[in-house]
Amino acid sequence: MIGLIKLIVFGFLGLSVIYLTMRIYAASTERERLERIFDAGGIEGDRDSFVRAGMKDYHSSLRHKLLILICIIPTIAIFLTAYLVNHQ
Amino acid sequence: MKYVKWTFRITLILLAAGFLHYTLPQHDIVRITNTYNRLTAISSSNSWAYASPDSGTAITDGPRDIRFVEAVYADESVMVYRNEDTGWVWPPYFKYDSSNLQAEAANLKSTKAAPIWVSVTHYGWRLPILSIYPNAVSVREVAGPDVRIIPYVNIIVLIMLALGAFMIRRIWLQFWERTIEPAVAEVQETWDGVEARADTARAGAKGFFARLIARFKSK
Repeated sequence: MIGLIKLIVFGFLGLSVIYLTMRIYAASTERERLERIFDAGGIEGDRDSFVRAGMKDYHSSLRHKLLILICIIPTIAIFLTAYLVNHQ
Repeated sequence: MKYVKWTFRITLILLAAGFLHYTLPQHDIVRITNTYNRLTAISSSNSWAYASPDSGTAITDGPRDIRFVEAVYADESVMVYRNEDTGWVWPPYFKYDSSNLQAEAANLKSTKAAPIWVSVTHYGWRLPILSIYPNAVSVREVAGPDVRIIPYVNIIVLIMLALGAFMIRRIWLQFWERTIEPAVAEVQETWDGVEARADTARAGAKGFFARLIARFKSK
């Protein structure tokens, strides 16, 4: 039973680290993409405010929210593995 | 230096490959000949290949009762599997049905005259010199000794590992490009500013000495 608690605690910590890292990475690539779009030209206004508005849209997008799958899929995989190994 | 680098790299690759080979599941097509449990002494040299003391079937340190499954390959060579719970952390099989597995294995026992071929999924190595045994994870009856089994789990796990390594590299490069390089550039700019000021100061100093010498000469 101690093992299961260990798995839950360390699994939660590990997945949190991976999730937060991926969040930062994905936001960084999105910012870069927005900057490229602006730098390509043809957009009125200030570069910073264009990027800021784009990032605001990104943070409410489905793509951003789907990152939580990084935590959900391994959890499902663990339960699925346990089920397949232990039940005939 | 070149040799040191390559020795280091090859050692690292071998360690990773060995680790994966030990941990990933493999399938043996065998005929089960015997199932039993035996009091087994575990020493410090081979305890890494047994269940940790706090997981399911392994309650205490020291000698413990471990379930074994003996089997024969189609080519008459033999294999002995242990059958222990894995616990919840490592290796990640989350196996807690050792008793059921032992019953299934016993049910599939067969003789040479009337063989029942089974696919034993297991991980680990049989190394007689260390007295270590692969841990059986599941048994399944198959049609014959020549059945081909596609290792889906290994394919998925290896693809995920490769994807993970690729992502770590991408994340690192992104971090380098967006965080380290701008910081370095900023330091460089600041430094350039310092240098420029030093240059003007030096020019001023030169002017000062030049003026001094000129004044001296003129006297």
